[in-house]
Amino acid sequence: MRYALATILQSVTDQAPQPVYVDNGSIWHHMSDALHQSLYRVLSLLIAILPGILAFFVALAIFTLIGMALSAVLRRVLTWIKFDDRLARDRVNGDWAPSTAPSELVARISFWACILLGLIIGVSAFDASYATAATLPISLLPYLTHAVGAIFLLIAGNLVARFLARSVLIGAVNAQLQYARFLSLGVKWLVLVLTAAMVLDHLQVGGNVVELAFGILFGGIVLTLALAVGLGSRDLVSRSLESRSERSSDHMAPPATPNAGTGDSIRHF
Amino acid sequence: MATANPISDVTPPLAQAGTDLLVLLAPMPLDQLEIVLANLTASFQAESLLIATPDTPSTETHPALRIIAAPATNASWTFTASDFVNAYQLAQKNEARAILMLGPGSASLASPSLSKLANAVLATPTDIAVPRYDMSPRAGLINSAILYPLTRALFASRARFPLAIDLGLSLRMAERLAAAAQRFTSLNQSDAIIWPIDEAAVAGFTVQEFDVGPRVSPQPAETDLNAILARVTGSLFAEIDAKAAFWQRSRPLPPARNSVLHPSTTDAAADGAPAIGPMLEAFRLAYTNLREIWSLVLPPNSLLGLKRLSATEAADFRMPDNLWARIVFDFLLAYRLRTINRGHLLGALIPLYLAWVASHINVSASGVNPEDHIEGVAAAFEAEKPYLVSRWRWPDRFNP
Repeated sequence: MRYALATILQSVTDQAPQPVYVDNGSIWHHMSDALHQSLYRVLSLLIAILPGILAFFVALAIFTLIGMALSAVLRRVLTWIKFDDRLARDRVNGDWAPSTAPSELVARISFWACILLGLIIGVSAFDASYATAATLPISLLPYLTHAVGAIFLLIAGNLVARFLARSVLIGAVNAQLQYARFLSLGVKWLVLVLTAAMVLDHLQVGGNVVELAFGILFGGIVLTLALAVGLGSRDLVSRSLESRSERSSDHMAPPATPNAGTGDSIRHF
Repeated sequence: MATANPISDVTPPLAQAGTDLLVLLAPMPLDQLEIVLANLTASFQAESLLIATPDTPSTETHPALRIIAAPATNASWTFTASDFVNAYQLAQKNEARAILMLGPGSASLASPSLSKLANAVLATPTDIAVPRYDMSPRAGLINSAILYPLTRALFASRARFPLAIDLGLSLRMAERLAAAAQRFTSLNQSDAIIWPIDEAAVAGFTVQEFDVGPRVSPQPAETDLNAILARVTGSLFAEIDAKAAFWQRSRPLPPARNSVLHPSTTDAAADGAPAIGPMLEAFRLAYTNLREIWSLVLPPNSLLGLKRLSATEAADFRMPDNLWARIVFDFLLAYRLRTINRGHLLGALIPLYLAWVASHINVSASGVNPEDHIEGVAAAFEAEKPYLVSRWRWPDRFNP
């Protein structure tokens, strides 16, 4: 390739009009040398990276195939052993009932776990292959692997925050707490702040500042909630608790009362 | 469903049938057990009876009775999967022809009621004899609001108490129920709820209902409405989901039988109505906070109906029957599609159920017979069944 480039450049110089000064020949020679060396370096770098890139894609492809196979096998096995029935039938009021069928969830998780594993192994292979041939330090690659973890943390934190916020909201509404939405929002932001701090810590951004800020913010939110409920809403809480106990005695007859249902009482069963 | 005699009719004793009847009793205090045994002795010939109980009664008071030990279960308010498995195994082992299952508190059942339930499965081709209790109009409200209307609309059965705790079973019905229960017990879920009426409907077995008068109704251990509603409704929703192929086909409802007028129903309606204020408050609070979650489950029409309801004064508060039917159907659909977490879904249903209870009390207080109102609700469920079937088949395409 070096020879070819030199030939091309030489032919270009051959066909060019004759220089006025004698020194022009050496300038063209220097320029062609410099260009040639640059091109050589770029091509060498590409050639050094290529096995790494190939290893990355091969690892990803292999683990995708493994993931697909594992997912299909798991789906069949779990259907065969009636995994959904085992989990769902008796745990209908479980707070952790998933939004999709449990067997489907397990199959999906296994598939994406394989993809993630493929990514990690691919990146490691790429890193190793590059590091041996590279002459320049690469600082982006470890950061990339941390970024993948941070994205997963962020997604998981958001899911947990949404789930907990909804659980608290429904529970508080059914407990007839007037500040149900406030509680729900408080819980949601606590989890989100915690997630944000974990993500930044994982990315190693901010260092001690993040930890300090998180401690202050988290403690502040908890203290605010405690003060609001414990002091500011003292009367409200006591009224709410009193009215709740009255309501309970009004329309939730004790289970052992045989003749409930007459008079003022209501029996749901 | 065949027409049954009212409770005042005298049923001939079992002596005419001359066959073995296995009576499976739920755990109960000894004094209640003695009453049940006395009632059974009064109704049946001792030699035709085989009594299975987890308790140990005194053999001196009823020496002629054959009493065997039944496996102990935790049936505190309804029969569970393990009870149905035990019943069938005991019947097979002792070559009984039919089974009479009596739940907790069955001492309050009159002796003729026991005869009716047992004779129906012994002397007639009935597969399952279910009782119709004379309950207060303010009791068994989950049954009146959800269980009965859903069972009637989807499984074409007029059984007023689909989750009855006293049952007469033919041997083949017991076998079918045991097979259904076995699926749960094999998964180590022995306390799962079994729905006998649904099983009988799918199998094409004969169901017969009898008036049995008043009965003490045992209550679930959980006093928390959230837990009770989620458990029972969730179980019924899962059952409906599992039997979707059956109920999507249109089936004629058997003609209504002539039931005796329940005195307590009308008497209780004349009592002072309970305050509906707390229930309305719960509904309004939920409307303010849970609209976002409801909007994931309910179509705009239903949300509009709820908006109007939330602005209605307590005295005029009436939930239209078709609105309630659609709400339940939409929650059933969301349960099937897992639109949101199932625990959240059933939790979000509670304030709507309380709104229905408040409406029911208002309707009853206005002079309408509560049973007529419940029948009206059930009829609305039947009328709205095409809506459920459409949304079940094409959940995304059909969303009015």
